[in-house]
Amino acid sequence: MKTFFSLGLIRGIVSQLIVTAIGMGITVAVRVAMGLPAWKAEPAAVVGALLGAIGFMFGVGALTDWLKWMKGEETPMRHGPPKDKPAWTRYFTVDYNHKIIGVQYTVTGIALIGIAGSLAMIFRLELSAPGLQFLTADTYNTFMSAHGIVMIGGILLGVAGAMNYLVPLMIGASDMAFPRLNAFGFWVTVPAALLIVSGMVFGGWDTGWTGYPPLSARAPLGIQLFFLGVYFIGLSSILGALNLLVTVARMRAPGMTLFRMPIFVWASVATSLIALTATQLIALSFLMVLVQRLLGMGFFDPNLTPEAVAMGAPPGNPLLFQHLFWFYSHPAVYVFILPGLGIISELLPVFARKPLFGYKWIAMSSLTIALVGFLVWAHHMFTAGMEEYLRLPFSYTTLLVAVPTGVKFFSWVATLWKGRISLETPMLFVLGAISVFLIGGLTGPPNGTVTTDLQLHDTYWIVGHFHATMFGGFVFPFFAAIYYWYPKVTGRMFSETLGKLHFWLMTPSFWVMSLVQQQIGLMGMRRRIADYDPALGIQAQQVAITIAGYIIFASVLVMIYNLVYSYRHGKIAVANPWNSRSPEFQIPSPIPEHSYEQPFLVTGEPYDYGLEGSVYISIKPDIANAPVAAK
Amino acid sequence: MSAITTSLAEYRHQLKSNRWGLWLFFLSEAFMFGGLLTSRFYLWGDTRPPLDQNLGFIVTVVLLLSSFFMNRAETAIAHDDRKNFQLNLIITAVLGIAFLVGVVGFEWQGEVRPTDGAYGAVLYGMTGMHALHVLSGLIFIMIVFFNGRKGHYSAERHWGVEACAVWWHYVDLVWVFFYPALYLMGTVIHP
Amino acid sequence: MTQQEKKAAAFRQGIIVLIVLAALTAGEFFVARSLNGPVAILFIFAIFKAAPIMQYFMHISSLWSEEEGH
Ligand code: HEM
Ligand SMILES: [Cu+2]
Repeated sequence: MKTFFSLGLIRGIVSQLIVTAIGMGITVAVRVAMGLPAWKAEPAAVVGALLGAIGFMFGVGALTDWLKWMKGEETPMRHGPPKDKPAWTRYFTVDYNHKIIGVQYTVTGIALIGIAGSLAMIFRLELSAPGLQFLTADTYNTFMSAHGIVMIGGILLGVAGAMNYLVPLMIGASDMAFPRLNAFGFWVTVPAALLIVSGMVFGGWDTGWTGYPPLSARAPLGIQLFFLGVYFIGLSSILGALNLLVTVARMRAPGMTLFRMPIFVWASVATSLIALTATQLIALSFLMVLVQRLLGMGFFDPNLTPEAVAMGAPPGNPLLFQHLFWFYSHPAVYVFILPGLGIISELLPVFARKPLFGYKWIAMSSLTIALVGFLVWAHHMFTAGMEEYLRLPFSYTTLLVAVPTGVKFFSWVATLWKGRISLETPMLFVLGAISVFLIGGLTGPPNGTVTTDLQLHDTYWIVGHFHATMFGGFVFPFFAAIYYWYPKVTGRMFSETLGKLHFWLMTPSFWVMSLVQQQIGLMGMRRRIADYDPALGIQAQQVAITIAGYIIFASVLVMIYNLVYSYRHGKIAVANPWNSRSPEFQIPSPIPEHSYEQPFLVTGEPYDYGLEGSVYISIKPDIANAPVAAK
Repeated sequence: MSAITTSLAEYRHQLKSNRWGLWLFFLSEAFMFGGLLTSRFYLWGDTRPPLDQNLGFIVTVVLLLSSFFMNRAETAIAHDDRKNFQLNLIITAVLGIAFLVGVVGFEWQGEVRPTDGAYGAVLYGMTGMHALHVLSGLIFIMIVFFNGRKGHYSAERHWGVEACAVWWHYVDLVWVFFYPALYLMGTVIHP
Repeated sequence: MTQQEKKAAAFRQGIIVLIVLAALTAGEFFVARSLNGPVAILFIFAIFKAAPIMQYFMHISSLWSEEEGH
């Protein structure tokens, strides 16, 4: 019991609750002082939620070191494992080791994906017949919206988990450049998730994850909590990206030149460039709606007050929101998929026992996708009433993205070509990822072409398309990564049988789900709607999607069972179960507290699998005899 | 806040990383401020609200002066001149407060209200976001001031001062773009 | 240069930057007043103000320079 209350997580939540209450009290006091009616739910909720999240960060202890610095006290650079506490408590308390933080991110990410998935199970059941069965239109909308945003949060956390755990190991850094910032970045996602989930309880909201005004300007109270939650998750992304970029720029092992970095590091850099910059714009756009609701600042409100008319003030414009929002949210899809594509490129050579085809092209294609991704946002607005002359340029830039993406595909196929392929679970998921991402990739260009998109926009075709990109670009590679690195993290092997079962349940179901979604979209099924016309004749397809969705959900449960069970009962893992050349596989499993005893030395190319006598790194380098170039 | 116990060599390595981190954060924030500027041009076009241009000029000069004194403070500590360091820091803070008074105490009491269409929204959005940054800078200055008084900084180790100074200049830098966008660009319409 | 001279030079540099910035600020003010707020010209002014701030006040070059100034 005492250990329980000394856990940072518990202290954080308790203090979040207390400070939220205080924040609401302050709001009431201020309103009274200003001569307004004492209670109004929305300001109280916003102030309470905002302060409460800060309260969480105090309570959990993520600010402790910084507060000491402010008082002029010194703290050690690295804290090491906690003394006189059981080891498992580290995961529930602020810890500065990047491997712990990586696991924290990953597990929280999986938990969020589980929550969002359960919501999908509920509203998917509702859709299996026309008419309203057991949900009201409002609950349907809230569940659908929460499903979307919680999934996105889960993906962002999963991405951060993989990058945090792997990148320092891969480049031979002892930790991230800013360990405290790293811990802050993880912990701020916890109050954020709590806010979003509580938004479902306090009023819900009906805008989908995109939160477009004018609808979001009138949605129930829940939308404010959703905005704030997204705001804090965005903060986490920004800080994590910053940390990662500095780590890669400054902490590579000797000899680790840019073009000798593992390909996943390149993908992480590209991802981080997007997350660092673009995220500010979703935060800004949501903040603008938040203050429009709270203070009447009409950024997106086309109506004018008489005083504003007298002043000659122009009205607000809801289209501005869509520009700001998509300036982030299109690049954001590359935040979701680039690390996943990096994992595909990382794992393929290991299981094909062949060099990665066109290493430099792959590295550069990640950067190109990231950069071109900034220039395509208005393809979400072809039907929004945007200026007509913008349509064609954005159509062309969108189609341009297919080029670097195509480079990746060709490299994967060429890497597989004549390889000695072995089909362990991680490799199965990599192949599944490629097949699913192909579906997502091929259904993209029709959406980017104006003439076709005018028909496809806001139909279930789009739902089919983006689920295929996210499953192919994130979910499948993420699962591949989990299986692949599980032995490194835990020191145990998972059950191959269950892993294969997971794969064979999930992959065909996903093909069915996505393709049928696309089909009924073409037949007239609209997106984000609780009901449909029986005359469309799509009920059989709706049932098929629902069944496929349930099988996917069940397969993920199989994975979770496998991971939990094997943590105790799995076979003890050897240091390098997959015969990988990557640095982290050259040290014991599980990886020791400080990873490498001393920095390793990079002497060769990373992916020369199957080449006689090639070496990538030497783990105990003879520093004195190191070649000069390596310095 | 040279607050980590390390050798001088380690300190210097970390110092450069810190600088990169801070500048990347600036880059990130630049997108947010850029988004606000974009909103200004998207919604206001080539018009501007009826603001007092003299007031705008005065607060701009005040902020510029504060940046100048901040630079003196940093230069002083880089040469181990503690007395000038503390003095210039105080002047910076006073000017910073004066700027806030100018914006919040005068501009925000003027003709344009937050609810006045796109004028109100963007004006209060831009000045409010900027004022929040000024406020954070003032808090930062206060922390550095008290740590300086305890003798925490030296010519070799004063990342805390440097970060505070660069942060403050960044806030000024943002205003370099916000000031003309709010007060100078475009024409006032008289309906 | 002695320490003392270096310090004096550093302070002097700050003053020069201030004068330049003040002149530019006054310049943009009068240009705006007399020409009715020309957006492009005022942007150029802003960029010319931003450059010395980043270089001399914010030491942007310390990101890549090797010598350890501070
Ligand atoms: C990692 C996995 C998943 C991700 C990242 C994801 C992401 C999303 C996103 C972003 C939306 C859009 C929400 C909106 O329009 O505002 C959405 C909607 C939806 N998702 Fe998922 N989803 C995932 C898994 C699933 C699963 C397993 C199912 C079950 C079959 C499912 C069914 C749906 C449905 C039915 C909608 C609502 C479509 C509509 O009514 O317009 N999703 N999802
Ligand atoms: Cu897009």
